[in-house]
Amino acid sequence: MLAASLILPVLLPLLIVPLVLLRGSRATALRLAPWAPLPGLILALAAPGDLHLELPGLLLGTSLGLDASGRLFLLFTALVWLLAGAFAQGWLRDDAGRHRFWAFFLATQAGNLGVCLAQDAASFYLLFALMTFAAYGLVVHSGTAEALRAGRVYLVMAVLGEALLVVGMLLAVGAAGSHRLADLAALPLSGPAAALLIAGFGIKVGVPLLHMWLPLAHPVAPVPASAVLSGVILKAGLLGWLRFLPLGAHALPEAGTALMAGGLLAMFLGVGAGLAQHNPKVLLAYSSVSQMGFMSLGVGAGLTAPSLWPLLLSAVGLYALHHALAKSALFLGVGLIRLRGARPASLAGLALPALALAGAPLTSGMLAKTELKLALAKLAAPWPDLLAWALPLAGLGTALLMARLLWLVWNKYATAGPGAAAPRGLVTPWLLLVLASAVLVWAMAPASVRTQAPRIGTLLDAAWPTFAAAALGLLALRLRWRAPALPPGDILLPLSRGLAWLGRRRAVWSWAKPGVGLPDPARMAARAQRLESRLPARGAAGAWWLTLLATLGALLG
Amino acid sequence: MIDTWLPVGVVLSSFLPGLFIFFLAESRIRLRTALNLIGALAKLALIGVMLWGVLNDHEYVFRHTVLPGLDLVLKADALALLFVTLSAVLWLFTTLYAIGYLEGAPHRSRFFGFFSLCVTATVGVAMAGNLFTFFVFYELLTLATYPLVVHRGTEQAMRAGHVYLGYTLGGGALLLVGTVWLYGLAGQADFVHGGSLAALPPETAGQLQVVFLLLIAGVGVKAALVPLHGWLPLAMVAPAPVSALLHAVAVVKAGAFGIVRIVYEVYGVEFAQSLDLLTPLAIAAAVTIIWGSLRALFQDDLKKRLAYSTVSQVSYIALGVALFGPLGTIGGLVHLVHQGIMKITLFFCAGNYAETLGIHKISEMDGAGRRMPWTSLAFTLGAFGMIGVPPLAGFVSKWYLGLGALEAGMPWVLAVLAASSLLNAAYFLPVLHRIWFRPAPSAWPAEHIPQRGRWETAPLLLLPPLATAAAILLVGLFAASAFSPLDWAKLIADREYLQWTP
Repeated sequence: MLAASLILPVLLPLLIVPLVLLRGSRATALRLAPWAPLPGLILALAAPGDLHLELPGLLLGTSLGLDASGRLFLLFTALVWLLAGAFAQGWLRDDAGRHRFWAFFLATQAGNLGVCLAQDAASFYLLFALMTFAAYGLVVHSGTAEALRAGRVYLVMAVLGEALLVVGMLLAVGAAGSHRLADLAALPLSGPAAALLIAGFGIKVGVPLLHMWLPLAHPVAPVPASAVLSGVILKAGLLGWLRFLPLGAHALPEAGTALMAGGLLAMFLGVGAGLAQHNPKVLLAYSSVSQMGFMSLGVGAGLTAPSLWPLLLSAVGLYALHHALAKSALFLGVGLIRLRGARPASLAGLALPALALAGAPLTSGMLAKTELKLALAKLAAPWPDLLAWALPLAGLGTALLMARLLWLVWNKYATAGPGAAAPRGLVTPWLLLVLASAVLVWAMAPASVRTQAPRIGTLLDAAWPTFAAAALGLLALRLRWRAPALPPGDILLPLSRGLAWLGRRRAVWSWAKPGVGLPDPARMAARAQRLESRLPARGAAGAWWLTLLATLGALLG
Repeated sequence: MIDTWLPVGVVLSSFLPGLFIFFLAESRIRLRTALNLIGALAKLALIGVMLWGVLNDHEYVFRHTVLPGLDLVLKADALALLFVTLSAVLWLFTTLYAIGYLEGAPHRSRFFGFFSLCVTATVGVAMAGNLFTFFVFYELLTLATYPLVVHRGTEQAMRAGHVYLGYTLGGGALLLVGTVWLYGLAGQADFVHGGSLAALPPETAGQLQVVFLLLIAGVGVKAALVPLHGWLPLAMVAPAPVSALLHAVAVVKAGAFGIVRIVYEVYGVEFAQSLDLLTPLAIAAAVTIIWGSLRALFQDDLKKRLAYSTVSQVSYIALGVALFGPLGTIGGLVHLVHQGIMKITLFFCAGNYAETLGIHKISEMDGAGRRMPWTSLAFTLGAFGMIGVPPLAGFVSKWYLGLGALEAGMPWVLAVLAASSLLNAAYFLPVLHRIWFRPAPSAWPAEHIPQRGRWETAPLLLLPPLATAAAILLVGLFAASAFSPLDWAKLIADREYLQWTP
């Protein structure tokens, strides 16, 4: 009976969607909508043991369940959605299209909460797709040219990701002969399937080269949507890896090494590109790319060394919890300060999750990073030596990024934005999120990590990047260093310019063989059209000739 | 005794009203509507009885010997009922839609007369118990649909009709030659599970391969296999209900269904595999899938884009048939139903945009979602279903086709499916973006039906697409339930493979 409640986190938001859209019930539904993640939160906090629900008639045979990872992901996902929803109620109070925003917000939420519960490939894919496609409505909500462009890039990458995923899943399911995640995890994954699944979910996670949609799409969405996009929707990709890769059971050394390398690259690429941003929200999006790199590193390590996976899983989970809460608190904080001006109190409130992200002493970030370091230190050479350098350096990078964020916010939003009367009801959800990010990670961290935390060595390790970043930041201010400007989406611009250039320079492209150029779509289409327009006459005549020949054949045969 | 006559009853339930309607005066609207609906409901009732019987391993066979050695056989087995049920249900919706669509238009008696004949021929094709019977109804279908294609009588319509006749009669001729050849080789044989040709001496293998080519080319014309598909995009000049029926149930589906019958119940899938006939068929289907999608990408005319999409989607059925193994069979058969529901919804919606607002081109669809939210919702479900997004119908088809490809040892098919999904997204998502996210123009191209209270268009135009759109969602969401199309396709696959051991 209790197990039936597993369907609620998905069903409740979806039920509210039509109520928000229909005029008659809109006012009531809008009051109700922010509470939609509540069943998910209650389940994550209070549900007993291993809940399991089988719905054999649904889709291809659906099974939902709440295991340890699912419970953790459901906890922070539901919490962030709840608080972002409360924030959104105030934030969009005067938005004429807010019913549309809420419809997409709730549908995205249903998918995102659902992936935490899905225990079979088909329903995971369903809920993941629901989340992905519905989030398009959040990205383009403002309707500006910038948002539409970001939406286009988002959609192309999303569709590409779905295609990679479905093929990867089919390969895995075909080999296993079952679409239950438990059965999939027990079997070794073929190389192509692993590559497709890593890349497909990697688009959502923002692994390097597949990340360019992320710094475009996250910042253009309304603030509460940015918070969930960067805070928890990315984590659904991470959860996809946890669910579909044979972590802890079988080693995939090549894929694991590639993912670790991608993670390392993301950590530094996110910092580098983020430092060159002038819009705080874009900077935060790049910081997400960098932070997800830490988690990719952990998952990649688990693929190379299955015996370490229990330790790594715990570390990656804690990191995900920490980042989800801190990042969404930062997004809400930046939005709030833009509206109300940079007052000292709100800057302090922003500094708290920023320090946590930088891994400053006694913050949630320190705990998450310590646990990850402890687990990664057990890897085979050369990783421990490499990571002993790389991780603190990345920590320094994050600290610098957060210093720049605070400086940007303080500098840009010194006075309250236009239409200074900020809506009420924004501060409370934000403060609750800041509080949760400070407390919850401590509560969920394993005892071994908590006992490590107050040691001098750990504290010093955590402290120096923060202090170094502060010193560097002050130095930069004193010397008036200016950050270069990098357009959001970094490689997208050269990519699209390159394609356009190739298109223009077909003559150059075809220097080797005259007449061989990049295909011109319009010309190809025209050619296909011509080809087909000749078909009717020739096709029919051909058919008759064939008939004649065949008749002869039949008579002779 | 009554069992024998049930299949005949299903054929007559649309044939008799059709004949009667021809002789009705234009003004007898009520009588005509009543006849149409009584026929449709009677057909559904008869089918319901037979569905129950077939589920319990019963078969309904009607046999009439025309000449010695030439029997007319109507047989309702599981495979026939899959198609018959689809046609009968969608015929009911299309009839309702057509009544709304043609309100006040001329030549309605002629239209509904041929409309009924067209469905008669379709259920005949579905229940044909041997190749000769199949051929008879297949040709009847050609003749019954021609007047519907040229119904408007415009120059463009007449030209499309010419091309249509040229193609389909040519296809019919190929089918006839193939049938005669086969009767010469093997004598008359009913369609049976596992086929009837495996017993022929091995030296006939070469002839059987040629005959296979002839038969598949014959039905491939209607199934719009590239390069035999040229008539289909032209035929979209027909009125929307005709297009809906043509693309979802009648003509295209009859061709695809012919492929199913020929592979499974004439040759037998295991025998066809041993003659190396399935891989070429899979390649032909794959080429068609990609070519249709590519051509759809460049069409601005909404119905034309949908027509090319049909070219692509119907070949999923042929592809599933060509994938040796029960999972591929399930994927192909279930798509027979799923593609029908999805495509009929899309064409209903295209008709609604055209009739209500005068929108024919995709470039005119900006903001249509605000004016016609319900139609646009149905269109969106259809489009997402075609892309293969879960939990809609198309997802279930693609999932089983993908698994079938792996089972058959043809992993390259996965790449075709993925490419097709990407192309589907590339030609449907921009349309959805226009509908929902672009601002509406100050005036529509030609607003024929004004907003009346809550009704964005005439009720008879709106309700059928909403019903079929709901079906897209339900058959996908409850695919694993009893009595779903997937469940029925599994039942058929279970009976088609005689020696299969996974």
